[in-house]
Amino acid sequence: MFIQQIINGISIGAVYALIAVGYSLVYSVLSFSNFAQGEILMIGAYIGFFTLTLLRMPFSIAITVATIGTGIVAILLEKIGYRPLRLRLSPLLYFMITAMGLSIFLQNFAIVTIGPNFRTYPDVIATKPFSIGEVYIGRLDLLIFVITIISLTILTWFIYRTKEGTAIRAASYNMRVASLMGINPDRIVSIVFFLAGATAGVGGMLFGIKYTVYPWMGILTIKAFIAAVVGGLGSLPGAVIGAFLLGITETFVAGYVSSALRDLFSFALMILIIIIRPGGLMGVITQEKA
Amino acid sequence: MENAILNIINLTKHFGGVRAVDNFSLSLSEGSIQAVIGPNGAGKTTIFNLITGLYKPTAGEIFFTSQKIDNIDTFKIAEMGIARTFQNIRLFPEFSVLDNVRTACHLRANYSILEGLMPTPRRIQQEKQLKEFAMGLLRLVKLDSRADDNASSLPYGHRRRLEIARAIAIEPRLLLLDEPAAGMNPDETQKLMEFIAEIHKKFNLTILLIEHHMEVVMGLADHITVIDFGKTIANGTPDEIQSNPVVIAAYLGVGD
Amino acid sequence: MSTYFQGIIILAGINLIAVLGLSLLTGFTGSFCFGQAGFLAVGAYVSTLMTMKLNMPFLISLSTGMMATGLISILLGYPTLKLKGDYFAIATLGFSEAIRLVIENLDKVTGGARGIPGIPTRTTLPLVILMAIIATVCIRFYVVSRHGRNCIAVREDETAAQSIGINTFRYKQISFFINGMLAGLAGGLLAHYVGFIQPSMFSIIKSTELIVMVIFGGMHSVTGATLAAVVLTALPEVLRTAAAWRLVAYGAVVVFIMVVRPEGLLGSWELSWTSLRVLWLSSSSRLRLLRKR
Repeated sequence: MFIQQIINGISIGAVYALIAVGYSLVYSVLSFSNFAQGEILMIGAYIGFFTLTLLRMPFSIAITVATIGTGIVAILLEKIGYRPLRLRLSPLLYFMITAMGLSIFLQNFAIVTIGPNFRTYPDVIATKPFSIGEVYIGRLDLLIFVITIISLTILTWFIYRTKEGTAIRAASYNMRVASLMGINPDRIVSIVFFLAGATAGVGGMLFGIKYTVYPWMGILTIKAFIAAVVGGLGSLPGAVIGAFLLGITETFVAGYVSSALRDLFSFALMILIIIIRPGGLMGVITQEKA
Repeated sequence: MENAILNIINLTKHFGGVRAVDNFSLSLSEGSIQAVIGPNGAGKTTIFNLITGLYKPTAGEIFFTSQKIDNIDTFKIAEMGIARTFQNIRLFPEFSVLDNVRTACHLRANYSILEGLMPTPRRIQQEKQLKEFAMGLLRLVKLDSRADDNASSLPYGHRRRLEIARAIAIEPRLLLLDEPAAGMNPDETQKLMEFIAEIHKKFNLTILLIEHHMEVVMGLADHITVIDFGKTIANGTPDEIQSNPVVIAAYLGVGD
Repeated sequence: MSTYFQGIIILAGINLIAVLGLSLLTGFTGSFCFGQAGFLAVGAYVSTLMTMKLNMPFLISLSTGMMATGLISILLGYPTLKLKGDYFAIATLGFSEAIRLVIENLDKVTGGARGIPGIPTRTTLPLVILMAIIATVCIRFYVVSRHGRNCIAVREDETAAQSIGINTFRYKQISFFINGMLAGLAGGLLAHYVGFIQPSMFSIIKSTELIVMVIFGGMHSVTGATLAAVVLTALPEVLRTAAAWRLVAYGAVVVFIMVVRPEGLLGSWELSWTSLRVLWLSSSSRLRLLRKR
């Protein structure tokens, strides 16, 4: 039972990690929390769902389509909602409001067009669990974990080993200086949003497979935010660590204490971290220059 | 030093591994104008931020009229009588020119929150006085004709004057000016110097100045401290500093 | 006047009271609050329990609800108001959801998810109109006072505000408190108008609707917030058919406003003798020009 909880925790932690990483990525470059990240996740889940059911594509194609498709959607959202504000150097508050607006729009658009029913993904993998000794590991959980690790590895490779990735890291320290060095901020922001969208797309699809798909599943973004904060907002490794930590502890609270208190616990954890160690576990410090 | 209105003793500030300010000391006598100069990134603005409580020192102490202020909230330090301007001019963009100054006058009124919700005679009277005082300051900086204009519509030089007017509005004893002549041509710089000299006399201010424009520094300051990499490298009157080889070396040429 | 029409005005008035608080907190002081529904819930439940369990007269119940909500806002404010913008927003959201969870789980007292039916309907049209007018006038006076200017300064540039002696934490706290009181009042009035309350009435959707009203009306204008509250309460009633698309439209319009005209409909324009005179003069001079042709 204990091991089972850990596996569940890791499973949901993996989904959180995929969203949180995109979150932290956007935050590190633009210094703002994209609350609409959850709706991007939802879009990914639906794209995957319809690719599997309507288009009857195999899983590997579906997940590729979901990844790339969601990435493109993310770029579009940025161009429509955030770019005008960026160009105008709008205050953070405006970004938050726009994010909220996009979130409301997408969520309710989905409700009205696709419908509010919960959708179940078709089985993408045999359900017979593995067993190691007395412990049963669902194949699905294993799949989720593997896909997450692959995705995060690809992302890490991109950020640390490619030219674009280095540009992103430069921009995350100081966008203005980076642009003076010849880096096109618009292009960087688009790439960042594509990556955030892609990871959210994968995460959404995985979540949809393990649980269900519904228009307001974007609420998960709050968990991603908490994970990112716990790890240190702006730090990618922090987001991953925070996500797994959150997933595991949260599952334990739900299992051993009460499932109703699970969300309360997550919020409390975040408040605790903010008060005790605002830089998160990775100790991200941002000091405002006067 | 007797009559020292500001006393900074061995002030140190580390940001992670970076020593932004390293054992900096300064003594400011009341009524004087002193300047802190040094290459970019030498730690000058950090010193201002430490004085005004935006940063807490890693080590060292700051005394304002013999009161220890290095652990006090920024707004309290302003209440105590230290005002400042910012390197990149931080006006309130949505406010009118008048309101930028009038907001700073809030310390001159004392009507309560409750009175804020309703038009009591005391509030009306105090608001009238605040407006008069603010307009007076605007007249001083020759911005009274633009009182109702939006602050962001002002040209650069005027914005600087407005920020100084706002700083004076809290009736400080010590005024910290962070590169007030930045981005100004020689004519504007000259006018600014005269303006600073004027308010120095008129309001009995003590002024601590960060500046790169050497004419301003040489023209106004009684005493200059030169810092580089957070440390003091020279100290003295304008003449002494001008001929100091260490300073010349650190600066790679004096003046803009 | 038909009861249907009266009902719309009462709801508009109640929303207006809640929106005024939010306008002060988010619009004028710049603290983005995602959890207004939580405050409404506290006001609603406390006042209801006062009326139904302790048989208190209506006005006492209302006041108790207001004070309870005010107190909670002070307590919540201590850890949250020193947080940066997005953290604060999420914290208020967390608070709102936490309140809902608490209410759902304390079902002995609060009736749980099913809620409390049979609340005596003491809220009358004249009462709501009176309270709405008083609230509007008070907030209007507040934002032009030295305290209001300080709040705006906090929104515009916290560091610069501190440098001129403004205790930014204190002012955020006060705005948070006033918002709490007004939301508590609105919650109490709502409970005693609708006649029953349940946690689902105080969800994120409610918080969102109220914030959208503040954004529509212009975050820098009390007049704008007032207009938005009234129009956005009445309009959905009028456009009943397209109910499902209402929120879709809200989302789209919010983004549109932020991209095109973030100052909202009225920007910083406020209804006042001076502004009316300006309007009158400019329109009459335009009329004169037309006549000359």
